Amino acid sequence: METLNIPVLSLAVAFILLIIPVVISIRYGLGMLKTLFVSIVRMSVQLALIGIFLKYLFRWNNPYVNTGWIAVMIMVAVFSAVRSSSIKISRIFLPVFTSFSVATLTVVFYLNTFVIPLDNVFDARYLIVLGGMLLGNSLRGNIVGISTFYKQLRTDSKHYLYVLSLGASRREALLPYLRESIQLALKPTLASMATMGIVTLPGMMTGVILGGASPEVAIKYQILIMIAIVVSTVTSVVLTILLTERVCIDKCGILRADVFTNEK
Amino acid sequence: MISFENIHLSFDGKNVIQNLSLKINNGEKVVISGKSGSGKSSLLSLPLGFVRPDRGQVFFDGIPVNEKTVWDIRKKIACIDQDVSLGDGTVQELLDFVSDLKANTHSVFNAKNLMEFFHLDIDLLQNSLKELSGGERQRMAIVIAILLNRDVFFLDEVTASLDKHLKNKVADYFLSKEDCTCVIVSHDPVWLDNSVVRVFDFEEKKWKH
Repeated sequence: METLNIPVLSLAVAFILLIIPVVISIRYGLGMLKTLFVSIVRMSVQLALIGIFLKYLFRWNNPYVNTGWIAVMIMVAVFSAVRSSSIKISRIFLPVFTSFSVATLTVVFYLNTFVIPLDNVFDARYLIVLGGMLLGNSLRGNIVGISTFYKQLRTDSKHYLYVLSLGASRREALLPYLRESIQLALKPTLASMATMGIVTLPGMMTGVILGGASPEVAIKYQILIMIAIVVSTVTSVVLTILLTERVCIDKCGILRADVFTNEK
Repeated sequence: MISFENIHLSFDGKNVIQNLSLKINNGEKVVISGKSGSGKSSLLSLPLGFVRPDRGQVFFDGIPVNEKTVWDIRKKIACIDQDVSLGDGTVQELLDFVSDLKANTHSVFNAKNLMEFFHLDIDLLQNSLKELSGGERQRMAIVIAILLNRDVFFLDEVTASLDKHLKNKVADYFLSKEDCTCVIVSHDPVWLDNSVVRVFDFEEKKWKH
């Protein structure tokens, strides 16, 4: 089974479909034309560039270059995760970077070493593609996890102080917030896992099938990637909270006002 | 004994407490009086380490309050705030949470007698904390503070949302506990007019009587 290539001109035909969201936006006054346009252009340009970039990355397949690119991907993910929280990036860049790296790399190297029969665990096709998949999901989980944790602590500060005054240890006082953040962060992943195959044919599987592999192989990869996503998401959310908490909460257990931007 | 020595405290550049010194001995009942918004509640936050003075030092039983000692000091003080936030869940769940904290495992958490004493229906245990009225919440916080079995009480406007009969009951309860130290922030005559209390004028920074 060979993948059919799409001529560039035909791809342009796909863009005609975008008339539908444009008409909807105008008809209902959504005011989203500019955002839609910018997002479409960004997506197309970014993917075109990454397509060219990956072509060379796969051709060279150099362990150092591959590892370097993974580091860049992690860095971008960290910036996006922190930007959506109300914490100053300069204060928590390092803890979040550590958390994302540990969670993603441990899981990817575990898979590349023990599960997928690879000769080279740094193989770009697996390291970068799997790593990116895990990072994207960790990012989504962390955006929810980290904002929930600190937002709850800030809006609930009266109750938090009450619990400290009752004699709670740092761990005891923070545990309810940690619990809630992890649960919320994992909810979408667990929900989509439970309906997988019936409601959703996930991206990874669609990609592998379109790429010419049989559905049996595609399913094996999909199961693998879902396990990896749950593990790396939960690991990174917990690590991010535990490592940033050391920076954002002082030794008396009180939130430090100077680490927060005051926008949110 | 709690002593505040030359305390200066400010928030966002605004002075809240300036050069205040105050000593409260064990077993004393002290009312801190002064205008509302003058920083009296911040004074109670100092020994708990919830705010840190810009200058000066707070001592609890001779131990300076700092990031190492504050965790043990918190276990010796029972605190009730006028608008205490008891959290989510039911009253019983809150009681279980409090009694499960490592600091409180030695205390016997039988709330029923105290609830009856402060005219709280036992059925409230199954109610959601969010459904409690202001007065019920206040009394529930008082019950929990007493169950903690601690020797020092910080009572910040605790009788504000109670009727006259209950105000007297609460004030009598705490003021008759001879071994306990009580630091009370209140405007209420139910505390001020009692002969066992000493009144500290927060603005003048001196004892009234």
